[in-house]
Amino acid sequence: MNMRIFNTVGVMALIMILSACKKNTANYGVVQVSSKGTNLNKDKDKSNIEFHSILSTNLFQKPSSINELTALDRVIQSCGDKALINEVIISNYMNKPSVKLPSRAMMVDSTDRFIEETYIRFFIRRPTVAEMTWFKNFINANKSNPNFRPELVYTAFAASDEYMFY
Amino acid sequence: MKRRQFVKNATALTAGGLVLPYILPSGRLFARTNVPKAEYVVFVMFGGGLRQQDSILQRYLADSQGFNIEGNILYNILEGAAPASKIAYGTTPAGQPNGSQPIPKILSQSLQKQGTIFAEMRAISGGHYGGWNSLITGSRVEGQGLKVRPINPTVFEYARKFGGFKATDVWFVGNTISNSIPLLNSSKHPDFGLEYGANFFAPGVTFGGDGIEALSKAKIYHPQEELEPMYKMKNFLDNTFNIRKGEMPGIKNTDEEKTQIKEFISNTFQRQAAGQIPMPPVSGGDGTTIGYAAEVLRVFKPKLLVVNLSNIDGCHSNFTGYLQAMHKADHAMGFLWNYIQTQIPEMSGKTIMLFTPECGRNQQHNPVQDENDWYGYDHGDANSLRVFGGMVGMNVPSNLMIGNESNPIGKVTDFNLTIADILGYKDNVKSAGLIDPEAKSLFDRI
Repeated sequence: MNMRIFNTVGVMALIMILSACKKNTANYGVVQVSSKGTNLNKDKDKSNIEFHSILSTNLFQKPSSINELTALDRVIQSCGDKALINEVIISNYMNKPSVKLPSRAMMVDSTDRFIEETYIRFFIRRPTVAEMTWFKNFINANKSNPNFRPELVYTAFAASDEYMFY
Repeated sequence: MKRRQFVKNATALTAGGLVLPYILPSGRLFARTNVPKAEYVVFVMFGGGLRQQDSILQRYLADSQGFNIEGNILYNILEGAAPASKIAYGTTPAGQPNGSQPIPKILSQSLQKQGTIFAEMRAISGGHYGGWNSLITGSRVEGQGLKVRPINPTVFEYARKFGGFKATDVWFVGNTISNSIPLLNSSKHPDFGLEYGANFFAPGVTFGGDGIEALSKAKIYHPQEELEPMYKMKNFLDNTFNIRKGEMPGIKNTDEEKTQIKEFISNTFQRQAAGQIPMPPVSGGDGTTIGYAAEVLRVFKPKLLVVNLSNIDGCHSNFTGYLQAMHKADHAMGFLWNYIQTQIPEMSGKTIMLFTPECGRNQQHNPVQDENDWYGYDHGDANSLRVFGGMVGMNVPSNLMIGNESNPIGKVTDFNLTIADILGYKDNVKSAGLIDPEAKSLFDRI
């Protein structure tokens, strides 16, 4: 009797297992991407205030006050060549003791890391292979120039067209 | 050499000399369409709204405040005796009544004596921005909104595109960054635009308190050791980034021009601190703007410089201040012309200076009275379209007055074409078809 009950239960359990719902394995199309991509599709220009708010954060690790930004906005408006006046303002920043720059040793000894971090800091993306190669070659070629410092690399990035857009 | 061969060679050389120098050395795309009348042009937008009655008609208080006192307070520009009483247009010495000391005349001969005055011209707009637009673009567009660049090409873009001038050859010096003045250095016209725009400074800001804080401590990098690698990196980055995805917000100078302008900015702060900027004896306001314009002329010797003045617009609420601003602007213009002639040898005798306000002022006063109980004047009625203008310098007929109250000759839209005529590309500008169809070079109005 017990054996018959056991067999019946076993058969039922087997039927239930075989006919039960299967795990839903839906595909949502999610693709793994890096949050710091290589895209160059930046087509909105930063306002003067946005530009310098971001720049001061990049260079000093703290934002400028709104009064400073408003004054800078006025100065930029007072000059016809915005890129030029930004370069002057950037070099003015570079004269401030609180500017935070990597060391020359870091740039020369860990060039790959320096280039990648600089791209991420200024362009919010990693360099392409071509960009990485060009900068590695350029930094290596300028190693013997004692005046070639991270400050110049940072100035080039901060003054670049891409940095004016988001 | 045989006579026939000589004539053949001479003809070929003359023809080549006429055409090649204008195409090859500068890389310009357009040959000159007329013989240039001068090498340099300075255009003073003598403005803020200048009432005919109080300026060229020399009625002083007679046609505005009900006093029978006439006289000329623009004696660097115009011939005529100064007012004999109720002197309020000058400076104010300590303890003396406001405006009681007239500023001594700078020029030994007035601009009227040295050049040609158009006594009764017509403005396109009775407002400032419409007026500036008509002066800068030579077009009749009156409905130009604030905070947008002109629809039609500016005098700067014509100069750079048709004259083949580089960015540092073409300057606009503004008195302010308000009222969209900084947007007048280039239009948004698809065939012209920022690519051909002028360099611009508003000296009161660029070299004022904000500018000192933001710019004066800028590093001057070594051209070869530092700037060259920096620009190489920047150029690589710019080539990688496709700029056509967005429009650059400003004009572009070459790397060499940028270095020159950066040095100018740095030197200007130093010269400012040492009191070496060439200022008119009585400066401040428009006078200071003229001083920095003179500094730009001294350093860059641009082919075209336009400078805007506007203190005169205080007339809305202060007629006394308006008279003083007019008198000071005349003083500043006299200073500028004298400075070009005596302190910039490269430009002396090779420059034409043009001047006119962007608009006039109303016939009737408004109800606002100043400290002398004199009424203010706004602008916008038919009287606001009455202005005078003039030109002086190389190839300009001297001591000539064209037109009068009953015979208006010339329009403010003529100035754009006159500049093109002076610099040698008048027909290019006319052919572009974007200026007032009735505009003429002022030389063709004589």
